[in-house]
Amino acid sequence: MSALLEVRGLAKRFGGLVATDGLNLDVQAGEIHALIGPNGAGKTTAIAQIAGELRPDAGTIRLAGQDVTALPVPARVKAGMTRSFQITQVLMQSTALANVAMVEQVRQGHSFRLWRPAARDERLLAPARAMLQRVGLAARADVAAEDLSHGERRQLELAMALATHPRLLLLDEPMAGLGATESAAMTALLAALKQEVAILLVEHDMDAVFALADRITVLEGGRVIASGAPDAIRADPAVREAYLGAA
Amino acid sequence: MRESPRQIIVLAISFALLAALPWIAGAVGRPDFVTLGSQACVMAIAAASLDLLMGRTGLPSFGHAAWLGLGAYTVGILAFHARDLGPWALQAWAVWPLAVLVPAALAAVIGALCLRTSGISFIMITLAFAQMFFFLFVALKTYGGDDGLTLRRRSTIPGIAPRDDVAFFYVCLVALVLVLLLLRRVAASRFGTVLDGIRQNERRMMAMGLAPFPYKLAAFVLSAAIAGLAGALHVNLFRFASPDVLHWTMSGELMVMVVLGGLGSLWGAVFGAAAMVVLHAVLAQWTEHWQIVLGPILVAVVLLARRGVWGALGGK
Ligand SMILES: Nc1ncnc2c1ncn2[C@@H]1O[C@H](COP(=O)(O)OP(=O)(O)OP(=O)(O)O)[C@@H](O)[C@H]1O
Ligand SMILES: [Mg+2]
Repeated sequence: MSALLEVRGLAKRFGGLVATDGLNLDVQAGEIHALIGPNGAGKTTAIAQIAGELRPDAGTIRLAGQDVTALPVPARVKAGMTRSFQITQVLMQSTALANVAMVEQVRQGHSFRLWRPAARDERLLAPARAMLQRVGLAARADVAAEDLSHGERRQLELAMALATHPRLLLLDEPMAGLGATESAAMTALLAALKQEVAILLVEHDMDAVFALADRITVLEGGRVIASGAPDAIRADPAVREAYLGAA
Repeated sequence: MRESPRQIIVLAISFALLAALPWIAGAVGRPDFVTLGSQACVMAIAAASLDLLMGRTGLPSFGHAAWLGLGAYTVGILAFHARDLGPWALQAWAVWPLAVLVPAALAAVIGALCLRTSGISFIMITLAFAQMFFFLFVALKTYGGDDGLTLRRRSTIPGIAPRDDVAFFYVCLVALVLVLLLLRRVAASRFGTVLDGIRQNERRMMAMGLAPFPYKLAAFVLSAAIAGLAGALHVNLFRFASPDVLHWTMSGELMVMVVLGGLGSLWGAVFGAAAMVVLHAVLAQWTEHWQIVLGPILVAVVLLARRGVWGALGGK
């Protein structure tokens, strides 16, 4: 059985700096695969290449058997994977509801309609409300994103990624900047998502990683230094030296 | 975007005043006010069309005058050849749609090239294309070159005397109202919300699965088409088309109108255009260096009301 996501020999350099160095990575359907490593290890760079924002120098990326290496970002979203951002990227002046409704609209297609008003279109709003409900943001639906708290914006970010109905979510530090309670809530949310969507999870919060991950890959200097089950990773001396020991 | 109560009152008063302008002009004995009113309507149409690009979609085109000029020259050149082409070349119903279509068609090609760039490069490349058209019309001696092209009589509209300035003012006013209704409707549509999303965060839109290019191009073409209509009215208003209409200073003035009024608010572009036309006329009476006075006014507006005159009216 081939994996949902198959990354083979991915390589990227920025001038003299090797940010991704022959990365091989699989994400199986139904699993949470954590990608961890120290700052600057190349995690975000890897996500950006898998999502299609950054063109790799070499390597292939397959989603459900389909080679998507040459596809632009929107086509990869249609093929079933989308990313969230380490630094929140939402439509700041739009309400939480409008943000998710926009995703719903893009997913449904038909954005070349120039006449009918979109703001009261229940075909967009109803699924958007349901999605906000799911991430626990229903009460804040009509608040502009710029007026949401940081934690709420992280929830919105997740709702928007989910609203594309992906088969694979690429999450870049969903817990970044969250307090302990918020992190716990986000962890519970991701655990519940596992039933329906595979996740490649980049995260520095080791409690969350060990609570969620089925498999962990450790990056350092763009290369994989270890990959395997959480217990094995926890015990790996090279990993302890490079990353966990420091934490 | 919803208007505040104060904005609605200001809108109602402004349009009532505008509708009554010919009587007011008559009462104060200044028939030239009617022409000024027509000019304000025409520039408001052009500025509103630029606001669709700059304010809505976040694409600061510095070449918008090209479409205005192409619309104007389309009407002028067709009228110039009316003897060979036949009487349709003088009819508004035939030439005004062409003045919309010609810029729109060219914008489809030029937009496809310009939209491969973004940021400063987009500003520069739109400027370059507009200047190319400017030099083209300067070089076209058949159509007057530098001196411009005179339109012997206004495009024929059934029931309207070609020399009736008041009737022509109402034509401009109706065109403005129709354009504003159209643009408002478009802004609130699914298409309009996509443009708004692209302005706010293009990267996020792509992560939603949206390929922005076709939407940006459609906005570019629609905006050029409406500017072409403004051009058709412009050449009819002054019975004259000159390369000045496509000069980069005109593009700059249009941008100033949009920023002065308030980016992205549509009505702001209208007020910005009206304010510029009036300021231009008033200041030009005092001094020929009217731009020296205009500069500080602009700086003051930008500093005091970052969301423009219209945004300041809205409060918040
Ligand atoms: N566009 C770029 N140009 C040049 N260097 C870059 C670029 N993007 C990333 N880098 C470099 O590549 C390396 C990997 O960066 P990346 O952002 O992928 O790390 P990361 O693992 O996500 O780190 P963090 O945990 O801090 O988010 C870093 O040394 C970074 O400085
Ligand atoms: Mg990172």
